[in-house]
Amino acid sequence: MSRATAERIAGQLSRRDFLAAAGGSAALAAFLAACGRGDSNTNSSGDFAKKFNLFTWAEYDDPDLLASWGEMNITIFNSNEEAIQKLVSAGGVSGFDIVVPTGPYIPQMVREGLLDELDLGRIPNFKNLDAPYIDQVFDPGNKYSVCKNWGTTGWIYDTTVVTTDIQTWSDFIKAAQTEASGQTSVLDTPPNLCGIYFWANGIDWTTEKKQDLDACEKFLVDEFAQHVKAFDSYPGINLTQGNYALSQVWNGDARQGLISVEDAGDDPTRYKWAVGAPETELWMDNWCIAKGASNLDAAYDFINFILDLDNSLTDIHFHGFNTGLKGIEEKASDMPYKEMVFFTNDEVDRMRAQTINSAQDRLVDIYNKTKAKAGA
Amino acid sequence: MLHAFPSWFWYIVLFLVPVAFVVVASFGSKVPGSAGRVDFSHPSLGRYREALDQTLLTVLIQTMRTSIIGTVLCLLISLPVAYYLATKVSESRRGLLLAVLIIPFFTNFLIRTMAWRIVLAPHGLISNLLIDWGLRDSGIMLLDTRFALQIGVVYNYLPLMIFPLFVALDRLDPALREASKDLGANRWRTFVQVTIPLAMPGVVAGLVLVFVPLSGDYITAAILGGAKGNMAGALVAAQFLQAQNPALGAAVAVLLIAAILAVLGAFAIIGKLTIVAIRRNRSVATVPV
Repeated sequence: MSRATAERIAGQLSRRDFLAAAGGSAALAAFLAACGRGDSNTNSSGDFAKKFNLFTWAEYDDPDLLASWGEMNITIFNSNEEAIQKLVSAGGVSGFDIVVPTGPYIPQMVREGLLDELDLGRIPNFKNLDAPYIDQVFDPGNKYSVCKNWGTTGWIYDTTVVTTDIQTWSDFIKAAQTEASGQTSVLDTPPNLCGIYFWANGIDWTTEKKQDLDACEKFLVDEFAQHVKAFDSYPGINLTQGNYALSQVWNGDARQGLISVEDAGDDPTRYKWAVGAPETELWMDNWCIAKGASNLDAAYDFINFILDLDNSLTDIHFHGFNTGLKGIEEKASDMPYKEMVFFTNDEVDRMRAQTINSAQDRLVDIYNKTKAKAGA
Repeated sequence: MLHAFPSWFWYIVLFLVPVAFVVVASFGSKVPGSAGRVDFSHPSLGRYREALDQTLLTVLIQTMRTSIIGTVLCLLISLPVAYYLATKVSESRRGLLLAVLIIPFFTNFLIRTMAWRIVLAPHGLISNLLIDWGLRDSGIMLLDTRFALQIGVVYNYLPLMIFPLFVALDRLDPALREASKDLGANRWRTFVQVTIPLAMPGVVAGLVLVFVPLSGDYITAAILGGAKGNMAGALVAAQFLQAQNPALGAAVAVLLIAAILAVLGAFAIIGKLTIVAIRRNRSVATVPV
């Protein structure tokens, strides 16, 4: 470039204009790059890097166990609806490799094209799963999911505050309205919140009948909401802080809470846990592979790793939910609070799985109204 | 136009376009049984009709109440701090004190808010101190109440108020305050009639900077407020995430924006009327000789 040309360009282009153009094109480049997918993690020889992106519930796997396998980026969600919404709005480039939804939501996720079909040949340890936990009604033949663990919903309460014994959901409601009023927490998901009313009144909690839903709304908004202190899906960690006297809680979370009370040197017998009665929830969370996963080799390897009996045992000790492998109950015989993980036949008979049906929108509406009333 | 290029480009791409997406989505409707797809085949105001039921109005009123109280509290706390920093502190120490104010806010917002859960817990720091000093018999029950929420929002938005106020007060010429003193005004009258009116742009900037984000905030409410901490932002989030209904969520979001603008507009009008009334009151009349 000649000096004359350079001078002419310098004359027309001020420094401010140049910086503006540079800034704009840099921004455009960054914007377009972010729109694209992340690079895959396989090198040319076919070995894969032991890392992937996991989209799951909180406190759900032993971090030391995960670290012993490899590296993962964990993103947390609080409810299945939230997980599905995030996957849908990402439109197939969510960047997640494994997602852990609850069973009844899997058909919806398949319909929306959010999950990849599983190649069970790549998961030899699939044979370790016990018969009752494979081939579920929401995913016949395990085409999209493999059982991670299953659990249930119950309550835990501070016996120094709530002196009456709580045997059923009706007792739970009564305690929430009297002794534990203003000290009660309920799970922060629409089906569990409405389940309190249905289970207490002998109604099938998958009901779609308008009069059942209306009655549920009337009860929760008019008679229950004002006694709720918080909508908290993880009240277990609050046990050491003494925040709630009565909580609706999942079994593993309650167990983690009791263990942390012990670790803090306090007396865990102050708190009493029970599986919900006369009916309660049966939920199963599953390992699924998200559509558009870029670390497929690592994902399959991890699922195979976690279905190994010893690894599963380590994980159970951490999260406290039954992983459904053959022989795991015998191996876990020395586990603290194992009655909160492995249930009696009576308890299992009380558990009912959820179904996603036409009542879903109404349940969310009831949940929003209850929250609004509780905040009034 | 080229030299203004970055600002209008950012404004359109990063502000107008996303807001336009939300407004357009609010006229759609939910595809039944789907997870968050919006159906634009019959655009209508139906989502607004659905949104404007008792639930939203109750929550909007609670939200506005929390944000107005929070903003006023921020102002009352920040004013003395900013005034002291701007006028009474020597130049050399000013930087250090400003750093002391800002450094805690380098911590992540969520962690700062969660820390309040530990401090306010019934078996937490403040409880144990009060029990040890014999001032209380049992743990404080402040957590998961509207009071805890107010503490949390004031704590989180304080720097947004302190710094505009500090800048505005710092710009004041000290000679003006001395002149006021020479002319016989006491400290209070100087403050009210000279300092505040001159710093008014900073006060307004601080108020808006705190009020607008506070009205949309629901994370602090979710962590500290428990059931009592229901803010309108949480309703928007619930529609997008739990209910898988982005159209309704967009409608609620637009209504929230409208409510914030309405409150700002109302206070602007009140402010203008107050100034007019004060001016009329304090006009200088000629004294008949």
